[in-house]
Amino acid sequence: MNMEMKKPNEQQTTLEIKNLVIHYISDDEVVKAVNGVNIEIKAGKTLGLVGETGAGKTTTALSILNLVPEPQGKILSGEILLEGRSVLAMSELELEAIRGDKVAMIFQDPMTSLNPVHTVGDQIAESIEIHRKVSKQEALKQAKEMLELVGIPSERSNEYPFQFSGGMKQRVVIAIALTCNPNLLIADEPTTALDVTIQAQVLKLINELRQKYHMSMLMITHDLGIVAEVCDEVSIAYAGRIIEHGTLEDIFDHMRHPYTKGLFDALPDIGARRSELKPVKGLMPDPTNLPSGCPFHPRCDYAMEVCSRSVPENKWLSETHCVECHLYTDTNESML
Amino acid sequence: MSDVLLEVKDLKKYYKVPKGMLHAVDGVSFKLERGKTLGIVGESGCGKTTIGRAILRLVEPTSGSVIFDGVDILKLNKQEMRHMRRNMQLIFQDPFSSLNPRKTITQTIEEPLILSDMIPDPDQRFMRVMELMDTVGLAERLVNTYPHELDGGRRQRIGIARALAMNPKFIICDEPVSALDVSIQAQILNLMKKIQREMGLTYIFITHNLAVVNHFSDDVAVMYLGRMVEKAPSEALFANPMHPYTQALLSAIPVPRIHNRPERLLLRGEITSPINPEPVCRFVNRCNYAIPMCSKEEPRLMEIEPSHFVACHRVGDLQKG
Repeated sequence: MNMEMKKPNEQQTTLEIKNLVIHYISDDEVVKAVNGVNIEIKAGKTLGLVGETGAGKTTTALSILNLVPEPQGKILSGEILLEGRSVLAMSELELEAIRGDKVAMIFQDPMTSLNPVHTVGDQIAESIEIHRKVSKQEALKQAKEMLELVGIPSERSNEYPFQFSGGMKQRVVIAIALTCNPNLLIADEPTTALDVTIQAQVLKLINELRQKYHMSMLMITHDLGIVAEVCDEVSIAYAGRIIEHGTLEDIFDHMRHPYTKGLFDALPDIGARRSELKPVKGLMPDPTNLPSGCPFHPRCDYAMEVCSRSVPENKWLSETHCVECHLYTDTNESML
Repeated sequence: MSDVLLEVKDLKKYYKVPKGMLHAVDGVSFKLERGKTLGIVGESGCGKTTIGRAILRLVEPTSGSVIFDGVDILKLNKQEMRHMRRNMQLIFQDPFSSLNPRKTITQTIEEPLILSDMIPDPDQRFMRVMELMDTVGLAERLVNTYPHELDGGRRQRIGIARALAMNPKFIICDEPVSALDVSIQAQILNLMKKIQREMGLTYIFITHNLAVVNHFSDDVAVMYLGRMVEKAPSEALFANPMHPYTQALLSAIPVPRIHNRPERLLLRGEITSPINPEPVCRFVNRCNYAIPMCSKEEPRLMEIEPSHFVACHRVGDLQKG
């Protein structure tokens, strides 16, 4: 699909990642974490990035703010455009100005992403002070408003993280992320550490705030249930590549890639008891030693001779739906 | 021999903390038949892990009784308990921290066989280890590998092999697949089911993942703040959850489909403190159906339908609609 055709005002692109390659290089091995990822998020939309351990989800997310851990992490090629501006070409000062302001991140574990020796009010105010250049007093006042917004009484702004439960801490983290009204929110497994009833509350909060402020969001998760709940589009990652991408309907109702199907089949269905689950055979590939050709071919029930020889190209099946799989060289119909 | 392998009666485990008594498990009773699986579900702090440990006496229960195969094991002395433990094993959640990093697979699996002196001959013992590795699907070439060389799924297979080494009758599985990716999770669940069928094992399956528990268990018990609030056969519990907490818990699961999405019952607030709880319904502050009675008296677990137990004052009214 032609990405260059940008309609003015309507459908602005918030984030565009093109052909990103990131390896972690040490003396004795090369970890091929990201191997040609393409991602596009339109203004106000939420993209779900789904994959298992080692799929390259978190490395991709870190690269958006140029935070890939150095010196091992190397962005070898590709382009990352934030509202049209190249992140990789920005100076450290420019990057600092957008981190926490235009682009904010929520991490998985609220227990470790807050500073234990500062009050939550101070931690929220810090980001306002830095980016909005207001007095400490004004920042603290705004911090209290943010707390109320995420459902925490503002009187608690003088308390420390240990005085809050896990769900409340994650609300504080969300408040910090949203203080500067970001255009893009990167949420890396934001509810994985929470109990389900609390997860439901936090997801509802994220959804409400996202709509209220018209934010774009990159939601990184391994849970297809969360994707169904909050996302507009889905990218399925495997071994550092996006092997299938589409709207919710494309992926949930018309999945094409054998791995995507495998992910759905492996889930126990809450509504129906089956005696056997259908696991994906084998294991995630070792990123220091990826299989030749399609990285999924050793685990794939549909693998053909060509799959071990060449990496399948990205093929658009419709305006919204694309897949990287040799099964679709000659057809757009489902081969599963 | 009766069909009941395990009977737990009014089991309590309190911890003394600076602010008072923490009621981790507070009067839980149930029976478990041979060859069956009881799923225990609940959120952090509901006491599900403590129950498992109290049954095995890894933590000493405050009061109550645990009758295993006709013997009240809380009355056994250390020696007798040690002997009894051969029949009762535990599989842990985290395959990364529950294995000794300095022992090879073989050493880890054969350790219980050495400690119990069950198979004194080293060659025979090695044969048994190979047999166990085969049962859990670990390739023979891995015999001399260390845990750090293996992925999470394989490590959990070692944990299972170690638990099976003593030919137990009963295994408590504490979140055995929570640390694993979904594609691997399904492999381990299938393996555990296969072993149960072949060896006639009885399981207690402790988890926070309701989809997994429905798939895996015959009966499911739901815990809230140390109390069992509902227990029923899996089909009944998932088709007709009666306790307001169970209803909210089930509706909070994000369902991986985009059509016919169920309506969500959102709970207010969070779990309250388990320290010195008042003798009232522990769910009252978050319940959408609470009446004054609920803040006065603690509801007892009652059989509302055959085999379907619920502890709620309002269950009668709610069932009528």
